[in-house]
Amino acid sequence: MLEIKDLVTEYGSVKALNGISLVAHEGKITTVIGANGAGKSTLLRTISALEHPRSGSITWKNKSIVGLSPEKIVRLGIAHVPEGHAVISQLSVEENIEMGALFRMRSNKADVRLAIQEIYQLFPRLEERKKQLAGSLSGGERQMLAISRALVSRPSLLLLDEPSLGLAPLVVEQIIQTVNDLCRNTGLTVLLVEQNANTALGVADHGILLSLGTVAADLPAAQMKADVALRAAYLGY
Amino acid sequence: MDIFLSAIFAGTSRGAIYALAALGLVLVWRGAGVVNFAQMGQAMFSTYIASTLIAQNYSYWVAFVVALVSGGLLGALVDLLVMRPLNRKRSSSALDSPAMRSTIPVIASLGILGVLQAAAGMIWAAEERGFPTPVNSLGLVINGKIMPFTAFDLFVIGIVFVTLVATTYFFKGTGMGLAMRASALNPEVARLSGIRIGFVRTLSWVISGVASSLAGLLVTPSANLSPYTLDLILIIGFTAAVVGGLDSLLGSVIGGFALGLLVSFVNVYDAPEDIFLAILIVLLTVLIIRPQGILGSKEVRRV
Repeated sequence: MLEIKDLVTEYGSVKALNGISLVAHEGKITTVIGANGAGKSTLLRTISALEHPRSGSITWKNKSIVGLSPEKIVRLGIAHVPEGHAVISQLSVEENIEMGALFRMRSNKADVRLAIQEIYQLFPRLEERKKQLAGSLSGGERQMLAISRALVSRPSLLLLDEPSLGLAPLVVEQIIQTVNDLCRNTGLTVLLVEQNANTALGVADHGILLSLGTVAADLPAAQMKADVALRAAYLGY
Repeated sequence: MDIFLSAIFAGTSRGAIYALAALGLVLVWRGAGVVNFAQMGQAMFSTYIASTLIAQNYSYWVAFVVALVSGGLLGALVDLLVMRPLNRKRSSSALDSPAMRSTIPVIASLGILGVLQAAAGMIWAAEERGFPTPVNSLGLVINGKIMPFTAFDLFVIGIVFVTLVATTYFFKGTGMGLAMRASALNPEVARLSGIRIGFVRTLSWVISGVASSLAGLLVTPSANLSPYTLDLILIIGFTAAVVGGLDSLLGSVIGGFALGLLVSFVNVYDAPEDIFLAILIVLLTVLIIRPQGILGSKEVRRV
């Protein structure tokens, strides 16, 4: 279980997160929705230690992870796919995937090879293009690659930041469905940040609505999806 | 014909040195994302260490190895004492724009160059001293004419190729090489992948430091040693790296040999005073016509 209490993260004098508390249960998809600037990305970046919180606590499996480095946090089984199809364009598809497993290549080479095989089964298109530079991929393929880079580390918690950004609806559907399958079949815990609230709430177990750095609502996903007044007030539709 | 041949030979042996200097620059660029102008300062410093050992009757090879080790250490020190604190400081200041992030380490490296030159002047006095070669330096004889090409030049060319092959394999064929490329290209994604970018960067400064001190040791026999002798090598090495594409190891070696020949031909057929001008023209021409160099990768489109 990922448990966050009273988390405050600041950029200069701006409080991007102003006292956030939430829980993401193991083997479930928890989605964080909200308008631009609500603090969704900052939340994920603070969990993976790309940003340092001013106060508050983050515990994963009952251990505090505040103050650790991003490199260390990956080793605890938390993988973050940042916003914007974060792959390294100048490296090949194969190298982008391998990169995610470098830290455990020496200790567990056989499993790394297996994990890479599984990823190619999940996204056959990546295997076809494995020698190409990541920069030559389409937006959807790049997002698949970014997720693969995270999955090859065999995470137990996946932090996914706006996977739907800039992608065609059909591709979004496919990616979200893959994440859903992974969660249901392997027990992966997912914290999914999305602006596309309908799609996210469609697959999630639980919904957290952020507004201006605070939690505006914390409800089961189905209930949040059905709450027309809430969505009108915070998301504008 | 003899003049032409001798220009080719002289150019090739000079080119090998420029290629090594360019390789050192490319190594730290690909591993740490910094154009390091202090590189030849580091090389000069470790060459002085070797020269001091030789003056105290140690063998050339002992001095050679000590110089390489101290070159690597100096690289690590530059990273740990200057580059790393600089990175930490900037992440919380107003100077944190992408342009500044890539400019500040370069300016800092110029500062380090100044400090190293001043320090060498204080420690060893600024007078020039000679530096020996490990192998026979008598010229090759063709048609009864002595050519400016010696067994030592062959040795230098051999070292360039060994360094090129070893570093290329390291970058393309090993996990650490991949980690190094990833850290330089996109530190954030690299860290999220579990790569310890601090360690990786320091390591690339060490490798580049060793390659640079190698260049220093090999060039000094023909140039004499003073705190400023390697400045010209730095400028030509930098131009060679840019001609080659700055991120391509093979490109930098090709650039090095090409510039060696250019310098040699200007020297023989025109006048030594014009060498600097010729290099500047090449640098500007490449930057205007083909900024990515001969073998450098074009900036890949980003969305």
